[in-house]
Amino acid sequence: MTAREWVEVAALRDLARRGRTLVTVGDERIGLFMIDGTVYALRDVCVHKQRSLTKGTILRGRVICPGHQWAFDPATGRADGQDRCQPTYEVRVEDGAVFVDPRPRTLAAEENR
Amino acid sequence: MIRSVIVAGAGQTAAVAARTLRRRGFEGDVLLIGEEHVAPYQRPPLSKEYLAGEQSGGELCLLSEEWCGDNDVELRLGTRVAAVRGAERAVELADGAVLRADALLVATGGRPRRLPGVEGERVRYLRTVADADRLRADIRPGAHVIVVGAGFIGSEVASTALAGGARVTVVERADHPLAHVLGARMGAACAALQRASGVDLRTGETVREYAESGGHAAVLTGSGRVIEGDVVVVGVGMIPNVEPLAGSGIELDDGVVVDEYCRTSAPGVYAAGDVARHYHPLFDQRIRVEHFDHASGHGMAAAKNILGQRVPYTSPHWFWSDQFGRNLQYAGHAREWDEIVVRGRVEEFDFVAFYLDKGVLRAAFGMDRGGEVAVARSLVAARAVPDPAVLRDEDTDLTELL
Ligand SMILES: Cc1cc2nc3c(=O)[nH]c(=O)nc-3n(C[C@H](O)[C@H](O)[C@H](O)COP(=O)(O)OP(=O)(O)OC[C@H]3O[C@@H](n4cnc5c(N)ncnc54)[C@H](O)[C@@H]3O)c2cc1C
Ligand code: FES
Repeated sequence: MTAREWVEVAALRDLARRGRTLVTVGDERIGLFMIDGTVYALRDVCVHKQRSLTKGTILRGRVICPGHQWAFDPATGRADGQDRCQPTYEVRVEDGAVFVDPRPRTLAAEENR
Repeated sequence: MIRSVIVAGAGQTAAVAARTLRRRGFEGDVLLIGEEHVAPYQRPPLSKEYLAGEQSGGELCLLSEEWCGDNDVELRLGTRVAAVRGAERAVELADGAVLRADALLVATGGRPRRLPGVEGERVRYLRTVADADRLRADIRPGAHVIVVGAGFIGSEVASTALAGGARVTVVERADHPLAHVLGARMGAACAALQRASGVDLRTGETVREYAESGGHAAVLTGSGRVIEGDVVVVGVGMIPNVEPLAGSGIELDDGVVVDEYCRTSAPGVYAAGDVARHYHPLFDQRIRVEHFDHASGHGMAAAKNILGQRVPYTSPHWFWSDQFGRNLQYAGHAREWDEIVVRGRVEEFDFVAFYLDKGVLRAAFGMDRGGEVAVARSLVAARAVPDPAVLRDEDTDLTELL
């Protein structure tokens, strides 16, 4: 396993207030979401048709894309009833700061079928 | 116990029903009979990305032959169900063969409504991938595309044609596009969007006569104007494919009538998707809906009910339309309302409108506001009576109303 590369991207307090925020690390546009006290990071650009997930909403623990309402599990990037999977990032929270590893992970969407 | 299911039609509703049956562990026979020669596919891109040439046919596929092989689902394509025999739970094919099953699902969708008198080489309708392939060749820089009907499909074709460099004239009978769904005020917003994008939109205008000559199409309108173009795309609504049920005794009413469990009036015969007029408990009416998300949700509900799970279909309808660079979304159902509350700026095409009837939120329509429409859908489901001041206030988070 390769070592993690942690990049500080946001203050926990700001994220907690707005529930979501968009950050950019290099070429990666990363959406941060705070859901029931946990911070998640998903690629902001939707796998379906490139809309911005941070312009969507959070409902029942899912991140809802504003484009066509795909509902993503923020932990895995799986969308209910869809084959494609949104890339996610590893998150760490320390001393009131949010860190992400900007290398995206994509789950195989096999069991989603 | 149910050991076999036959689905008449092999579109989106059928595909989702088949997947649901297998996902829920059904091990009996599943047979999908479809008239088109293509495995089930998605139609929404046919007026958008696929028509624009940005997406290939393979990307439309909903149920591949490979998946059907792996999951033991039989796809019989290029085959028409001539009749559904309710009492026997059987379908009769065009060649006279009769196939029986423990449950039948009618998912035959619909076909475009034809405009009488508008016939010819240059007339196009859009429902199938074959229709889209044909229309695609007509959209090119410098062409003049005439669209009759400013519904969702007509508007999307206009948008795609414009983006493809064509000149576009839209002829709409009503005073505003989509007014029968959205009302005059939001219909006017859609008209403004079309005009701002460069469409020559003629509302309150009908097609009186149609003729073709010298490689041109000519429309004579109700007000006496002649519009000449290269091609005419007619998008004046859809007719449900109920013909195989004629004489079956199954109740029909502009569609196949079903209850909230997708059951028709014949035991063991179900219907779902565009073809079904379903009783919806939330709105206490029978509604027929011609949209993607409904086809999926209804197909899923039908499969569960076929398996005896008795789950009512109750979620509010939702649909989107991508046109002129904007993402339009609608959730709920409202044909009458006493107040429309707007959040955002209509003139900038960045808003969501809430339709309230006696204070109850019945529907919402937005442009580029998918997040808020999603919340509105939940509020509609909860029969919420939201404070209009909160709905209007951009600084509040709508999820607080849940
Ligand atoms: C161009 C276009 C764009 C659209 N865009 C959007 C959009 O942006 N958003 C949205 O929400 N919805 C959209 N829709 C609507 C959506 O595609 C439909 O609601 C959906 O396809 C309905 O699925 P269905 O399976 O009920 O019917 P269909 O998809 O029509 O499938 C029915 C199938 O049954 C077959 N069939 C019919 N009769 C028989 C018979 N007797 N025997 C055997 N087979 C038969 C038909 O050939 C067809 O393949 C669009 C539709 C079109 C045409
Ligand atoms: S762009 Fe995200 S659901 Fe379509």
